[in-house]
Amino acid sequence: MITLFGKRIRLFRPKSIWIRKVVQWGFFILIALISVNRALAESGGVSIPFLANASLHAVCPFGGVETLYQFVTVGTFVQKVHQASFVLMIISLLLAILFGPVFCGWVCPLGTIQEFVSNWGRKLFRRRFNHFVPDKLDKVLRYLRYGVLAWVIYMTAVTGTLIFAEYDPYFALFNFWSSEVSIIGLVILGMTLGLSLLVERPWCKYACPYGAVLGITNLFRVFGIRRNESTCKADGACSIMCPMNIPVDSKTVVRDHQCISCLECTSEAVCPVAKTVQFSTRVALRGAK
Amino acid sequence: MTLTSKPLAALVVVILFGGIFFSSALGWWQTESTKEAAKITSGEFAGQANPADIRGSYTFGDAEKNFAVPAAVLAEAFGIQDSNPAAFAVKGLEGMYSTSGQEIGTSSVRLFVAFYKGMPYDLSTDIYLPESAATILRTRTLNSEQAAYLAAHTVPNPGAAPATSAPQTAPQTVQATQTPSAQPTPKAGTPSASSTDRTVKGTTTFVDLLGWGVSQATIEKVLGTSMPAAQVTKIKDYCTEKGLNFETIRPALQAEVDKVK
Repeated sequence: MITLFGKRIRLFRPKSIWIRKVVQWGFFILIALISVNRALAESGGVSIPFLANASLHAVCPFGGVETLYQFVTVGTFVQKVHQASFVLMIISLLLAILFGPVFCGWVCPLGTIQEFVSNWGRKLFRRRFNHFVPDKLDKVLRYLRYGVLAWVIYMTAVTGTLIFAEYDPYFALFNFWSSEVSIIGLVILGMTLGLSLLVERPWCKYACPYGAVLGITNLFRVFGIRRNESTCKADGACSIMCPMNIPVDSKTVVRDHQCISCLECTSEAVCPVAKTVQFSTRVALRGAK
Repeated sequence: MTLTSKPLAALVVVILFGGIFFSSALGWWQTESTKEAAKITSGEFAGQANPADIRGSYTFGDAEKNFAVPAAVLAEAFGIQDSNPAAFAVKGLEGMYSTSGQEIGTSSVRLFVAFYKGMPYDLSTDIYLPESAATILRTRTLNSEQAAYLAAHTVPNPGAAPATSAPQTAPQTVQATQTPSAQPTPKAGTPSASSTDRTVKGTTTFVDLLGWGVSQATIEKVLGTSMPAAQVTKIKDYCTEKGLNFETIRPALQAEVDKVK
């Protein structure tokens, strides 16, 4: 509280969802350990027993999506994809149906590293950060990832190989020391990290095929971002803070395919009014009105 | 119902790891392939393991289990100097041959296994083999198309002397950039007689013996000495070199061949 012109004013300090960072970096470290451990195991060195046999492909749920066509038509998995990918795809889908793409916002290590780099971009460019791409172009580019998804599924079905691994920045990130990583994969990773200085989560917004899949669940997820119009002060803080540039302040329910359920727009974080922007079921919102 | 960050974090972690634990308990959590190649479903070779399904994660030992091509033969073919060739991962080849000018990797092993087993293989794409592999394959049964393909898709082994200085006993190496028609006529359809009738003769090589299923240990036991590093060596020549009587060794080896028939 401060006193200004004789009036006591309560200053609002937006909070970050710190537990999300903990979860994100926890998964980042886990995946990094798995990848390093695999490399050690293959070179005959010392390795952690629990993680020894897991390849990076085995712990990526997108592998399940890539192999879906072959699994349905032939009953086998695409080379390098294992049953664990299929299991992870199902678990991630279950999570998405309940909470939206929490895998993107809370688990995916590529999202984590992009956010990390974006912290520098935010300091460098301040208010211009995350607003470099013109709105009209941005709206069109947001659907590019569905094109990438269609291309990946088609090419994987036609070739029977994990064609996307060559372009995948996630694979390049955790295998940059390996001869398995292609130059183009490293270039895409470099571009993604470089663009993260200008735009929040550029890969997720414009190119991620798995984000495209999970984003669809925002249309029908059980828990969603809901804004209580009766208590909203329309200060726009939620929209400004949204890493995916979603205009939360103009919606009562966020069904945008780009939402990653990060909760940064909610009353727990940036919204100054309690119980106004919440992550809730439809019933909870009715009760609040 | 409203969720805040902490319960959501707990739910994400619990559902994710709980799902993995549950699937693990049901035996669904598999992070490695079973190393069992898919079977060919139709045609003359229906029911046999498909060489096209060999993966980079396979070791030569896995290939041996699936296709009965001895790991030692694979190691010889691809120039692997390893005391335990069965443990060598197929994907390691790409790094080894990175300077060969042509990609030699998993697809090369697939091709080699298919040719070695006399099985058909899709030759619509360019797959290259090192000279050492081609030398072994020339002792096997190849049809004219396979032989011509082999002649046009062979590259020298890393560090090998130019083809012109190759020993007379080895078939002439051809560069992939040369046209197949310019190459010497390969031994199309003319395998060593011993490789087809499983009879140990003067032309039988150690590769033939290994291919027939006689283990290295058994061969060495009969010889009373270790096998040569170059397994394409004729047994008779090796016996002469070591001062062994081939006419004594031959029936003993034939008996071992007959045992595994």
